[in-house]
Amino acid sequence: MKRKIICLMAVIGMLAIGCNDVDDGNHVDPITIYEKIGGEWNLMNLKMVDEVAKANAIEPNEENLSGLFNYENFKIKLNVDANHQPTTYEVLGNVPPLFALNGYWQLSSAFAQPNAQAVRILLYSDAQKTQQTDELRLTSVPGTKREMEIQLVRTSGGTPFITYIFKLGQN
Amino acid sequence: MKKFIHLIVFALMLLPNFMSAQEEVGTPNKIWSYPVVYKYDEQVTWYFDLSTTTFAAGEDIYLWIWSPSEPDAGNWENSSDFAKLTYVSDKTWKFTLTPTLYFSKTPAEIAASAGFWCRLKDKTGTKQSVVTQIAYTDFSTFYTANEVIRSYPSRVSLNDGISILFNSNLVPGFDTATSVHFHSGMNNWAVKQEYQAWLPEIVEKTKLKNMGDGFYKMDLIPSQYYPDIPDGFIMTNLVFLMVKDEWAATTPDQVINAADYVPPPDPVFSFFPLQLSKKDFLGIIRKNNETGVNKLIYTITAGTVTLTGEFTGTVSEIKGFVNLVTPLQNVNVTEIHALIKDNNGRTISDTNIPLKTVD
Repeated sequence: MKRKIICLMAVIGMLAIGCNDVDDGNHVDPITIYEKIGGEWNLMNLKMVDEVAKANAIEPNEENLSGLFNYENFKIKLNVDANHQPTTYEVLGNVPPLFALNGYWQLSSAFAQPNAQAVRILLYSDAQKTQQTDELRLTSVPGTKREMEIQLVRTSGGTPFITYIFKLGQN
Repeated sequence: MKKFIHLIVFALMLLPNFMSAQEEVGTPNKIWSYPVVYKYDEQVTWYFDLSTTTFAAGEDIYLWIWSPSEPDAGNWENSSDFAKLTYVSDKTWKFTLTPTLYFSKTPAEIAASAGFWCRLKDKTGTKQSVVTQIAYTDFSTFYTANEVIRSYPSRVSLNDGISILFNSNLVPGFDTATSVHFHSGMNNWAVKQEYQAWLPEIVEKTKLKNMGDGFYKMDLIPSQYYPDIPDGFIMTNLVFLMVKDEWAATTPDQVINAADYVPPPDPVFSFFPLQLSKKDFLGIIRKNNETGVNKLIYTITAGTVTLTGEFTGTVSEIKGFVNLVTPLQNVNVTEIHALIKDNNGRTISDTNIPLKTVD
């Protein structure tokens, strides 16, 4: 008796959803990181982290450089074309060239990595993107708040010894 | 019978009081000397703070001393005038002597003796202090210690004496000195007694005592030595240098901290970060700077490139960053040399810093 009721309920349930026409909406391409980070960004904060000191718990292991070397005027333009594909980039504000101040760029992946590894911003000196000059890490992607964080990690023999952390914002 | 025994015991208890003709007045509160340290053939004043005894303020008190010798022997009931102390104030008396003369002994004999043992008494010997030793500070280790300066005590106090010993043999240029003078001030020269070589009385006042063989000694009580000390002055240090003749040579600056003054923590100098490449910024940081140090002047040499500049700051911290990134863009170097000086021209750091090769 009990089994019959369960079967009946299952049948009713299937009837209820079986003929539903799911509205998938019109097809749109998924939003890429290019769409999120393309454009001009202002520096909010620049921090220099001493990775060797940090690893050995030595103080100080970070210093704020925001007000030095013209960094208060630092801007980075990550240009994209009409299809949200990366083209050129440019650093404005007459700052020291911690990385090449202009060139071409692209991401290591247009989407966030499932393993949560930071997407790389790869910088090139040529339009064909064969001559890589630098690599930045996109450690925080803008969401509704127009802020992101990129890091420049200096490594020697694969071991990081300094990280520059750029906190960027958009008006 | 029992009562009788009690009576005898009571009588015996009283007996010592009747037997000894003297009244024990107690133990001296404090005994000190000026100069703080002295040789046995040097004149010294001993000070006796007898506030803990029942001697009356201003009373005539005599020194009864039997070691290293007994100058007033046989006169217990009528002390001689030469053994009389001088009243200072606040139940403190003083006695000035040159030990070798007073005891008719050589310095070696005094040194080999049991020391200075005495009682303080009234003229007729009806009142006496307990047996007391007057401590002597032996500073002879200084002669072989290879120290330029040593002070007794090691910290200075505004109202107390200090003896500052100086071994001129360790300072170049002092070997033919006819006299050595004390150019000094308190609280980093805020209150000072300069060595003004053209003023005879200052020449005399600042002159160190010649102890022979290139050793000298300066004795002073800061509150009496320095002119124009402001009211409420709190002493933090004594800064000085020794001067040969009329400024023919000087020692480096010296400092003795005041006894109740807590010196600031030692300066800490560091570069930031610990490792860097030529594409980075070099931080130069110095914390806990000495008073008067407010600037770091750097000269960074990288191959043919020389970078100079300065950072200003405060006693707590002077910090700045050198841009290596721009000037070393096209320079092929594997290390840089950093010379850092303070605003007084003192070298803070003079070192090579290797540069990492960036992957």
